[in-house]
Amino acid sequence: MIELHHLCKTFGNFVAVDDVSLSIPSGEFFGFLGPNGAGKTTTIKMMTGLFTPTSGSIVINGFDVAAQPQEAKATFGYIPDHPYLYDKLTGREFIYYMGGLYKMEKNNLKENVDRVIDLLELASWIDKKTEDYSQGMRQRVTFASAFVHQPKTIIIDEPMVGLDPRSARIVKDSLKKMAEDGASIFMSTHILEMAEELCDRIGIINKSKIIFLDSKENLHLHKTKYEGNLESVFLELTKESDEE
Amino acid sequence: MFWKVSFKQDLGTVIRTIGSFVVFGSFAVGAFYFSNFVTAYLLENVKIGLFLFHRFIGMLLFVFFVTINLGNMVVSFSTLYRTPEVQFLLTTPVSYLNIFVIKFLDNFFYSSGTLFMVGFSVLLGYGVYFELPWHFYLVMMFGVLVPFMFFAACVAVIVLLLLMKLASKINFRLLIAGIVLLYIGQVYLYFTVSSPVNLVREVMKYYPNVDMYFGSLDPMPLKILPNFWVSEIMYFYVTGNASAVVGYTVMLVMSTVGLFLFALAIADAYYYSTWIMSLSIKSLTMKTLQFKNRFFSFGSISSFSPHVEVLLKKEFWQFVREPIQWIHFIVMMGLLVIFLSSVSTLNIKLESTDLQAVVYLVVFIFNIFLINSLALRFAFPMVSLEGNAYWSMRSAPISATTVYWIKFFLVMTILGVLSIVIAFLSNIPYLFVHKITGDHPWIVEYIVPKYQVKILAYCSMIITPIVTVTLVSLNFGLGSVYANFIEKNPIRIASSQGATMTFLLSVVYLVLLLAVYYFPATMLFSADMKRQPINWSMLQIVVGVILIPSAFISVAAHIVGIRSLRRDF
Repeated sequence: MIELHHLCKTFGNFVAVDDVSLSIPSGEFFGFLGPNGAGKTTTIKMMTGLFTPTSGSIVINGFDVAAQPQEAKATFGYIPDHPYLYDKLTGREFIYYMGGLYKMEKNNLKENVDRVIDLLELASWIDKKTEDYSQGMRQRVTFASAFVHQPKTIIIDEPMVGLDPRSARIVKDSLKKMAEDGASIFMSTHILEMAEELCDRIGIINKSKIIFLDSKENLHLHKTKYEGNLESVFLELTKESDEE
Repeated sequence: MFWKVSFKQDLGTVIRTIGSFVVFGSFAVGAFYFSNFVTAYLLENVKIGLFLFHRFIGMLLFVFFVTINLGNMVVSFSTLYRTPEVQFLLTTPVSYLNIFVIKFLDNFFYSSGTLFMVGFSVLLGYGVYFELPWHFYLVMMFGVLVPFMFFAACVAVIVLLLLMKLASKINFRLLIAGIVLLYIGQVYLYFTVSSPVNLVREVMKYYPNVDMYFGSLDPMPLKILPNFWVSEIMYFYVTGNASAVVGYTVMLVMSTVGLFLFALAIADAYYYSTWIMSLSIKSLTMKTLQFKNRFFSFGSISSFSPHVEVLLKKEFWQFVREPIQWIHFIVMMGLLVIFLSSVSTLNIKLESTDLQAVVYLVVFIFNIFLINSLALRFAFPMVSLEGNAYWSMRSAPISATTVYWIKFFLVMTILGVLSIVIAFLSNIPYLFVHKITGDHPWIVEYIVPKYQVKILAYCSMIITPIVTVTLVSLNFGLGSVYANFIEKNPIRIASSQGATMTFLLSVVYLVLLLAVYYFPATMLFSADMKRQPINWSMLQIVVGVILIPSAFISVAAHIVGIRSLRRDF
């Protein structure tokens, strides 16, 4: 469960996120859309503790991220937009390292490392140093490291960067399965088809404010008003905001 | 618009800029006064004479030369062979030689800015003491200091290119080990051949006529070294021998130009081919790493908490798999061994109390400088080396404070143990005065001293670890404040503006330390001469006076360091 209450973030005079409030219940797959620079990554960075909000609060699985950061962070897994890893570690070592940061018990950790390596089909290259990986390989390792501690919530920023079609399919299936098992998933993406395929509910942020928030079912009603696809809805909504 | 952009700075940046300006300015002034004071002290109080004074300058310049040389070699390897920028430039219609020249000059000026400033301040202090004319500074800066440093950089890049060429034929690791041994060997050889103790003994036979030129005492091989030429230029400037100054200056400039042209010729022939070859070195190391249940393996059971365990293992593997890190560490350890083996057999039975105090304080401060260099090189970059992967730690259930302390205690333990070893070995002459037995000169008898000199050894052995904690705290804390998560090269991080600021602050602290320590050291040597019994309260006073500012600096560094780790990432 994710709750954002009147979340704001400013950098000097620039308002990056302005009064964003959202509630994502357990088991929901939430798609967070918006043009470049709208405030998606800033919102996600505040949720994951990388940025401190200027005002407002974030509660993840019952824990306030500002007041109980360790407890809140223990319940979610994060996949950043750029899959930076430690160059000198192997993929397997990185996943173990992440498991250690989540204080996983060693035997349980070993089982889960093997599980995510199988799940994401990493076995053939996981023991090479990550400095030799392609972008897609790095992205798959970050997925594995986010899944290893079996989190209740997954927060993803642009998940498909650099993934080949097979890897993308594996990732989509894994995320669907996790949502079906009761995890809440917060996913920022530019790929509208993916949002339409996977998400139960969609929010669109533009110029730091939420301008659209509705379920997939209601989205179809909006679509009929435009050209019958999500792209038209997205372009129209963000265009209207531009004209304001 | 220009003004808007230029001056649109936040308060923190403005304060940092003003702070940098104040620290750099103060350091320049401090270096001036220090150089002026040391020159006056050695020539007027200790009366070592012009010749010995300039020979000591020559020895310091040799250490300076080797430091620049090694620094440039390691940085050049990284920037000429490992950066994505070079990879990109090689795809553009820029000649290989131009790429080489651009990167080489970039390295040289990037890592030498502060050295130029310090060099000029020191020269000013020296020049003012001897009342030298304005052209001395001009000649020394542009005709001597810049060519001298450039000479060291050219040697570094030539050795690097030849090394890379050889790497295709010889095992790369074996080659690195050979070069490390060669450098350690040359430092050892230099100090063996130059034999400072013999030189002092020979010159002092002519006391009080020690300002004379004793060139016949200089071993022939040393005369072909650029540090010797620089010390000669300074000596002859002071004694007014213009033709010798011109001769040596021309020789230095011409050699540097010649060496640069030679470097260009070698680069033209080898740079591209060795760059291609460096890819195959990388591919050789691109192997599957065995995941065994060894002590440092992530899969092995550990008695540490999971946070401590994974952070220690991560640091370990990042260090041992990064050649820049372990090669530099081994080189520094080699130099340390040479230094300690020389110092632990030092003859401290000198006639003058002042000279005894100077020798003791020089050894003490050299120890501290060594530790400071290790702290700057290895503790300062530790936070920056998290790089962009720092997101993994920040988004995980581990507090920034825990991360900070685990990393700090790791580097502190290693440097702390080293500092104790250094303090003990360098104080052997004061703990056990050795005496060569008359009948059998090869038999050395160790006597535990009964007088004040023993206190000085204890002072050193207590103060060195205290100072180490302060210096590691300062370097680690400010390394966190000035963290640069983009730069991957630890040497560049350790020579960044933030690192320079930290170094200058450390030097200010060390000068204060020396000022506090000078009086009791001289007093204790004087008491030792008079065979007065041990005065233990002196130990308490010295340690107390040093403990308070050290504790204050350490705490302040940790507060700002931890706060910085919590910044937006």
